[in-house]
Amino acid sequence: MTDSVTSTGVKRPELIGLGALVGAGALLTAVGTRLLTGPIAIVALTLVLASVVLLIVVAVSGTPESRRKIAPYGLLKPGMLWLALFYLAPLFTLLRLSLSTLPSRFAVEAEFDWNFDNYLDAFTDFGPQFERAFTYAAIATILTIVIGYPLAYVIAFRGGKYRSLLLGLVIIPFFTSFLIRTIAWRSILSDQGAVLSFVDGIGARWLLEVVGIMDSGRFMNTPAAVVFGLTYNFLPFMVLPIYVSLEKIDISLVDAAKDLYSTSTSAFAKIVIPLSIPGIFAGTLLTFIPAAGDFINAAYLGSPNTTMIGNSIQDQFLNQNNIPLASAMSFVLMFIITVFVLIYSKFFGTEELA
Amino acid sequence: MTTPRPNPSRFPGGRSAMSRRQLLARAGALGAAGVSLPALLAACGSDGGSESSGSTPGTSGGTTPGTSGGGGDMELFFENWPAYIDPTEDGATGTVDRFIEATGIDMRYTEAFNDNSEYFAKIQPVLGRGETIDPDIFAPTSWMVGRLITLGWLDKLPIDQVPNAANLRPDLQKPAWDPTGEYSLPWQTGFAGLCYNIDVTGREITTVDDLFDPEFAGKVGANYEMRDTIGLIMLSMGIDTSTLTTFEEAAPAFDRLQEAKDSGQIRRFHGNDYFDDLTNGNLAITIGWSGDIAALARDNPSVRFTFPETGAMSWADSMIMPKGAVNRDAAAKWMDFVYDPVQAAQITAWVGYVSPVAGVQEEVEKLDPELAGDPLIFPDDATLANTSTFALLPEDVEAQYDAAFSAISGA
Repeated sequence: MTDSVTSTGVKRPELIGLGALVGAGALLTAVGTRLLTGPIAIVALTLVLASVVLLIVVAVSGTPESRRKIAPYGLLKPGMLWLALFYLAPLFTLLRLSLSTLPSRFAVEAEFDWNFDNYLDAFTDFGPQFERAFTYAAIATILTIVIGYPLAYVIAFRGGKYRSLLLGLVIIPFFTSFLIRTIAWRSILSDQGAVLSFVDGIGARWLLEVVGIMDSGRFMNTPAAVVFGLTYNFLPFMVLPIYVSLEKIDISLVDAAKDLYSTSTSAFAKIVIPLSIPGIFAGTLLTFIPAAGDFINAAYLGSPNTTMIGNSIQDQFLNQNNIPLASAMSFVLMFIITVFVLIYSKFFGTEELA
Repeated sequence: MTTPRPNPSRFPGGRSAMSRRQLLARAGALGAAGVSLPALLAACGSDGGSESSGSTPGTSGGTTPGTSGGGGDMELFFENWPAYIDPTEDGATGTVDRFIEATGIDMRYTEAFNDNSEYFAKIQPVLGRGETIDPDIFAPTSWMVGRLITLGWLDKLPIDQVPNAANLRPDLQKPAWDPTGEYSLPWQTGFAGLCYNIDVTGREITTVDDLFDPEFAGKVGANYEMRDTIGLIMLSMGIDTSTLTTFEEAAPAFDRLQEAKDSGQIRRFHGNDYFDDLTNGNLAITIGWSGDIAALARDNPSVRFTFPETGAMSWADSMIMPKGAVNRDAAAKWMDFVYDPVQAAQITAWVGYVSPVAGVQEEVEKLDPELAGDPLIFPDDATLANTSTFALLPEDVEAQYDAAFSAISGA
């Protein structure tokens, strides 16, 4: 295969593949964001369809060489188109909205006018809510590691034939709506509920007050309750990835370390933990990101002084009808989370995930 | 989300154990707490989401052929709150089916209206573009009715074809939210006042000032419904809620609420989900609705409702027609039907809210004398006279109120 032309006369099939992929994705995004509307949108959609057909034609009629070059783009195409329509288009719409102004409070269309004030408002008016969201999410994430790691460890290494059963028990709460489970905690942890009665019974109330878990004689509707709710609701998302990474560890490595006079502790620290870092990393992402945007726990277990940014965004969307501001707040949230994740992955390194 | 149907047969007179709002709380559809966001997002870009999923088994019409009346092939679509009408069950024919029988109109009745703000978000892109939504009638709460009237998204009701509209309770005629009375007819009404658990408070509660009593610090709730919470506080400070035109008039009440929030006096803001907190002692006292307590105090007599001495707030969920609704004649027939005290009594006996129809008490007396004597469902004239409505605010002023309130409630 020198530069001999393929049977259809195509010289660089991979360029056709790439062009068809990117072009179709861009067109679909444009239609999805309603940049293109009416007859032009129909033309654009026809072009998207044509690009799919073109890709197939070039791939089928080409030489094995060109087919091999074009295959990756063909395989990427369904995913790309899906992302363009259901991820990129909404994201761009949100971005556009966040820079728009509503002509009147209940206007249907916001006017796009590079209104950066929305971002200014998002930062200045909702500082405490952002702060709480990240503080609570960070504490909850750490707690899920502290609770989840030993749990995953026991299931992976000591579970034996009960492994599946134990894992099932971790997942079983998912069978009930997490809303219902969160609401249930309100009764269980109520001022006159079973838990606080027990705490009183063993005379431990003062201890909880001292460490700040209880506030003015109650547990419900305190910051601790919100963090507790987040920890409870996201625990399985931490346990499962850690379990998967622990389960892959060859236990004979630990035996080998001990043969070389390592203590159990240092074998654990030097072998098990490093090998399970990918699990902790994945679990942290699965826990921290949704926890930072969560609004259910703060709404049901919190007080007016513990609302998180998710509650504020929801309120701006639904009750204040300030969709541009809500969009800007969503973007700020996304931005901060992205920065956190980048910094975090710098330390733990995604290459470890392999 | 499945909404459990209450079983009225367990109670004398066929009354439900659960009121509409409480049912919502049970189903977790807590509008104010905002679990409705996914529903909102799902509805974005739809044609108004009016292909509702909440049709009521047993009441959704369309199958019973007309037996009398001149309905011909008329149609009607009413979208209402869940558990807000007597269904056909246990041998009793529900109001919708009685209506279909009487008129032959092919009526569709759904229960997809869960939350004012959420529903507004669904219909806003449609009505705002001058298109119409599928339901001919829906029944938002008074303030939302006022907003829709102001936005010009409603048609006037065919009141001249509704002779029974004369039965409308006098205190509800030309209300603040519908100053001409041409756009809305109340479906059911109620009052916001103080709800308390006497086991926790240890004494009767009579005034709004008790909300701010340091004795109850950390055990006081407030309602996410801005007009109910701020309205009650304003009444207690001697501010007239029915004539508000600016934010400044209400500012002292907002300040008072802010202070209570900052000091930790207020434990939480809630929507429909306050009853559990009252029964399990998390809340000693809060702002809630008469209808809830009327139904639920039967199970738990410690939980009580009181009309504050300084006055209670009055609200109504009112039937309105979106601009461009087609089935006007059928809608007029329906409104006339449910404003007949005999029919309205059947609804009241099941839902347990305050009926907007005069003469219902006499009819309920025949069905359930105990219910007819319930002061929360049939308050006396003196109590009624001591209730207030919340003024219809101009758009920008309403935005100020909403922003100030959400800053306090923490969102």
